[in-house]
Amino acid sequence: MSGDIEVVGVFSSDLECAHAIEQLHHTPNRGFHTFAPFPSEHMAEATDEAREWGRSPVRKFVLAGGITGAITALVMTVGTSWEWNLNTGGRPIASITPYIVIIFEMMILFGVLGAVTSFFFKSGLPSFEPATGYRTRFGADRFGLVVRAAESDGAKIEALMREAGAEEVVREAA
Amino acid sequence: MAAAVDQRNHQLTYLDVDRTAQRVMAPAGLKYWLWVAFCAFLVAVGGSFWTRQVYEGLGVTGYGQPTLWAVYITDFVFWVGIAHSGTLISAVLFLFRTRWRTAVYRCAETMTVFAVLTAGLFPIVHLGRPWFFYWLCPYPNERYLQPDFRSPLTWDFFAISTYLTTSTLFLAMGLIPDIANQRDISTGWRKKFYTTLACGWQGTDGQWRNFSMAYLLLAGFATPLVLSVHSVVSWDFATMQTPGMHSTIFAPYFVAGAIFSGCALVLTLIIPMRKMLHIQDLVTIWHLDSLSKVVLLTSLVITYSYSTEFFMVWYAQDPIEMMTFHQRLFGLQGYLFGGMVLCNCLIPLLLFSPSIRTNTIYLFIISIFVNIGMWLERFVLISGSLSTATIPSQWKFYVPKATEVFITIGAFGWFLMNFSLFAKFLPIVSMTELKEGVGWLRKSARNSYPYRKAA
Repeated sequence: MSGDIEVVGVFSSDLECAHAIEQLHHTPNRGFHTFAPFPSEHMAEATDEAREWGRSPVRKFVLAGGITGAITALVMTVGTSWEWNLNTGGRPIASITPYIVIIFEMMILFGVLGAVTSFFFKSGLPSFEPATGYRTRFGADRFGLVVRAAESDGAKIEALMREAGAEEVVREAA
Repeated sequence: MAAAVDQRNHQLTYLDVDRTAQRVMAPAGLKYWLWVAFCAFLVAVGGSFWTRQVYEGLGVTGYGQPTLWAVYITDFVFWVGIAHSGTLISAVLFLFRTRWRTAVYRCAETMTVFAVLTAGLFPIVHLGRPWFFYWLCPYPNERYLQPDFRSPLTWDFFAISTYLTTSTLFLAMGLIPDIANQRDISTGWRKKFYTTLACGWQGTDGQWRNFSMAYLLLAGFATPLVLSVHSVVSWDFATMQTPGMHSTIFAPYFVAGAIFSGCALVLTLIIPMRKMLHIQDLVTIWHLDSLSKVVLLTSLVITYSYSTEFFMVWYAQDPIEMMTFHQRLFGLQGYLFGGMVLCNCLIPLLLFSPSIRTNTIYLFIISIFVNIGMWLERFVLISGSLSTATIPSQWKFYVPKATEVFITIGAFGWFLMNFSLFAKFLPIVSMTELKEGVGWLRKSARNSYPYRKAA
């Protein structure tokens, strides 16, 4: 939206950053995102609450992958046994019990592929456009909170961040 | 010394973690490249012996009736076993939220990937016609060559390929945030290299949310996988009728053995590495102490498994099984069994002493003994059982020739070369997870045995 700004707060502690996120609903803002050098539980809880996020959709892809893998393995083992039927010692042509090993392994394989693929897909990776407000320190030892707001509300957000313990607050054009 | 290191841990900061990891990845000196060249030389020697074997056939090895599975399959089981501790440390202990894993898990997971890559070579090396190895893959053809899905060897193909894929993806995913960190501070070709590998990771809340869920689920998948893979490997033997192998205890016994040997190899690698790469601040004595407790525990499980195996044979009173086990103990190669018991059951008992567990030299020596012992265990089990199978007139003890010996040495060179290259160009300690646990690391360093002893 034209006239919007982004306020970038740099925090030395994830607790302070989480506190700032919790306080955000007191201010008029048009969305926010955070940066962290590691997955902070405090920040994740505050963000989930602020955005009313449920659990990551990655798990649905994993479930779908696992089921696909198991069915694929079942069809492959039973189907090809019937197609190339080889009678060994009068045993059933399609012996489900030993096929469980193959079914199990392929369930895992497809589930894992589902997890990795959905992680990349849902996280917008690969992407070589830097997110707004990113600083290289956010990968090392600092935590960042970037809030988008109307220019007139910038001062309130800056004050909130300073109050929460931000060591640096910068205003940038959105 | 140990106490001094632990003292430093009290003040460990996020930047200290980064600095230490970056120091490891600094441009290598002559010593490092000489070491890599030496490993490459071992690979070349092993490769030349294998080339000769391909040209002249398996007759150049010590293989012959009745022992048609010997050193190559021993190497295969040994390396698969080595791989398992990496998954235990990275996935199983992750699910249990065991904090001490953070400093050693990347090293263990890297070891897993390269150990599986090494293990995967041996079924091919073992083949008389290695160019037909792809016959194990299920693909439609007109020659009735569809693999038999009831065969444990086919199970193995699926299990090992799934395990390699899962371990590689698990390692690669964990690396992404650390590589992004490297991208931000590197210059020149390294910056381009890390920028490509980091895939644009910036550590936003959305990325961490998906990362945490995917990583948790990968760990959840890797945990049953690690149990299944070595169970499947054990069924290569247990489903045979051969005395000495046909046993239901094999699956849990192999899994425990795998964790035992793998943790020992982590110690063997990480003890010299922490000194050479100056990472004592990150991988502390306390981490080694915790790891050696796992070695001790699994050693006790292994000892119990050996006893149970003998007890079951005695209890069943099957004369052929009894004879095989008698030969294992008192036969011509009984000294190998003695060596295995010494290395796997007796020497690790020293780890009951906290002062040994916190002494890196003793730990390193014990870990070498465990590695030797676990290789011997697989050799005794495979070669020993086949040498003294059902018909005594066919008994013949296997003795390896230069081909098997040098190919085995070449495999160690291959593993160490890959591991050394990885450690220099990619983060061998997880900066992300260490930062997550910095506060906890400070606290545990204060409570660790060496620090309390010094205090």
